[in-house]
Amino acid sequence: MSLLNSSHEPKLVTADGTLIPDGWRLLADDETVGVDEPNVLGFDRALAELDGLNGKYGVRVNPADDVRKLLPFIDKIALIEVAFPGYRDGRGYSTARILREEGFTGPIRAVGDVLRDQLLYMIRVGFDEFLVKDADPQGAIAHAKSLFDYAYQSAADDLKPVWQLRQEATGA
Amino acid sequence: MKLLTANRLTDGLVLWYRDGDDLSGWTENAVDAARLDDEAATALLDVWKARETLLVAPYLVPLVDDHTLVKREYVREFVRANGPTIGQTALDTAKLQNRGEVF
Amino acid sequence: MYVYDQFDHAVVAARNAEFKDQVARRLAGELSEDQFKPLRLMNGLYLQLHAYMLRIAVPYGVLSSAQMRTFAHIARTYDRDFGHFTTRQNIQFNWIKLADTPQILEDLAKVEMHAIQTSGNCIRNTTTDQFAGAAKDEIDDPRPWAELIRQWSTFHPEFTFLPRKFKIAITGATRDRAAIRVHDIGLQLTANGFDVYVGGGMGRTPHLGHLIKSGVPGEKLLSYLEAALRVYNRYGRRDNIYKARIKILVSALGPQEYARQVEEEWASLDQAKIDAPYAEIARIKSFFPEPDYTAKAFDAAALDRAKAADPGFARWVRNNTLAHRRDDHVSVTISLKPTGLPPGDASSEQMDVMADLADDYGYAELRVSHEQNVILPHVAKADLYDLYQRLDKTGLSSANVGKITDMIACPGLDYCSLANARSIPLAQDISKRFEDAGYTDKIGDLQIKISGCINACGHHHVGHIGILGVDKQGEEFYQILLGGRADEQAALGAITGKGMPAEAVPAAIERVVNLYLELRTDESERFIDTVGRLGREAFAGALHEPA
Repeated sequence: MSLLNSSHEPKLVTADGTLIPDGWRLLADDETVGVDEPNVLGFDRALAELDGLNGKYGVRVNPADDVRKLLPFIDKIALIEVAFPGYRDGRGYSTARILREEGFTGPIRAVGDVLRDQLLYMIRVGFDEFLVKDADPQGAIAHAKSLFDYAYQSAADDLKPVWQLRQEATGA
Repeated sequence: MKLLTANRLTDGLVLWYRDGDDLSGWTENAVDAARLDDEAATALLDVWKARETLLVAPYLVPLVDDHTLVKREYVREFVRANGPTIGQTALDTAKLQNRGEVF
Repeated sequence: MYVYDQFDHAVVAARNAEFKDQVARRLAGELSEDQFKPLRLMNGLYLQLHAYMLRIAVPYGVLSSAQMRTFAHIARTYDRDFGHFTTRQNIQFNWIKLADTPQILEDLAKVEMHAIQTSGNCIRNTTTDQFAGAAKDEIDDPRPWAELIRQWSTFHPEFTFLPRKFKIAITGATRDRAAIRVHDIGLQLTANGFDVYVGGGMGRTPHLGHLIKSGVPGEKLLSYLEAALRVYNRYGRRDNIYKARIKILVSALGPQEYARQVEEEWASLDQAKIDAPYAEIARIKSFFPEPDYTAKAFDAAALDRAKAADPGFARWVRNNTLAHRRDDHVSVTISLKPTGLPPGDASSEQMDVMADLADDYGYAELRVSHEQNVILPHVAKADLYDLYQRLDKTGLSSANVGKITDMIACPGLDYCSLANARSIPLAQDISKRFEDAGYTDKIGDLQIKISGCINACGHHHVGHIGILGVDKQGEEFYQILLGGRADEQAALGAITGKGMPAEAVPAAIERVVNLYLELRTDESERFIDTVGRLGREAFAGALHEPA
């Protein structure tokens, strides 16, 4: 039997299909925050401490976290990691989309149970980095992006909804 | 005592383990299913669970004796073994398919 | 009917290519069953007790004769010559081979059909009134809105991994034939936009939906739904599959608080980006014109003569036709509930015949109802007798629509791997018990709904008489519910009396029905009205044999 996709070490890949090194590190809650170090803070800690910190940080958002609470500190956030403890838990899709609606322009990274068959949906709601468990992360991205030329609804990506394409086609 | 059963990957049909180590050792006719002692059944289940290109969701059906299911499993396994009871009873179905009485 | 353009075709073709690849990977061993299962479940392919079952979407229950013929073709070529129409206005085939599914989907794509939104924790196929566009009591046609929702919800990237499945129903008439109060979201189309009911549902904890917003303008419907879904996606429970439906969230928050959160979310959305503009709504509406009604001279006297000469026909006209918005037409329900056969099943031959009849008498259009019947929405009265005679030749002339033998039943333990008890054999036994046409007609409108487990696919909570199959220490056992209804006066039935084995059920129902016949004020008081007037406890004693 051939190897199963999800048995692979996760690799970090961007939405345009580039493998990138992962310089960021999730701090344990009792670890000291380094100034201007690539530290990722837990959500509650970020809420408690970002106000008093200088520099830019990553923040880890778990499914139950209300990402809008980060908005007052958004200028200090260089990266948001959205956790998918299991692929069936779809709260992270709303998290990413809300961040984009609220104007967050930094990278949003999907971490956890990130599989090739979810990548298309993740790209559409605004994720641009993926810690993906796949033998061929770049191929997985290319595959996801090749699946659909059209989408019926607008989301956080630059695909125009089909209704808009129809309007343009008729010159309306 | 137990029976080992699963669905075939390609068409989903119900199969029962008879003997051997490939699909030819499985039968669609529950009458011919091997009555396995518990230890052998558990070992075989582990073996076949790994054969995912052949079978889906293998599991063990407990028996009281050679032809009696434990009650909790009865209706479901009877229907699985004999086909839908619609338009006729399960026994009619079994007779039509020349299966004899399975349980 | 809606007709695909290049974009619709491209989306389905892309989906089919993706699924074909997934099936190939599964058969080659590159995907485990654990990995493949969620993928096939996003494409309507279940593994049931005996085989794979493929559920095909009939968007809002509307289909063309060509589409019906494709179902016949699938039944003949890939299945055991029959299909099963479901309570979600879809069709499912029970004996499908995994390796055949890519080809089946290709065959379906040729007639603009697919299996998208028929399973998985996504927004499912939207359902509506089977008489949409034809019924006399219609305020506005729900079909264009259902199509708008279909497109918006297809592969919605934010709502593909919801806590649980999500079902939307719309009605545009004063009589609710779409059971909107027992859906996750029910939409009532009014002259002032949409009234939105949220949090209805059946399953193990049935709830009726709450009105959370009135008068949502059609042009804003999608963004409002998006807000409603987002609140559910974020806050619906995910720790317990039995508490994951939106009804539990709405009940926990309270409808007002849920409504407030939706309102807040709605205000935060970029609505102009989400809502299709009026031009798109107008484009979709243009696909649902009035049929090009053929003026056929209708001779009322001739119809009366035919009815007098053929009492079977007279009964069929009385029970199976509904007033149409045009006086010279009716809507015809083809009952898939003949005595002794599984409710909702049709053979390939019957499907072909229904397609032919739609072509000859029904402007090539058919509907599937949530009661598991097939409808010809527009039939000229002048054609009724010809139509009836042709139906009669194919076993499709059962004249029992709305009557006690027009039962809803889930597939139950004969097919379904979730069931605890069988449904269909019980439905068959009940239909034999009430075979006598005179008796059935005397009883009048009475809906029996049977589910083979607590998941309530057979809608037992809203049956006038509901039947729930349970497993009692290895035996099939049936609880009887009384007093439920799914219409505009929706109510949940309650378990009445003690459970009983299958063989006791038909006689128990007969005793209840006979008591109703004794107690009703007159023929105009329907069974459900009598239960409402006297209370279900008045009937509890009749369920059980006198000691």
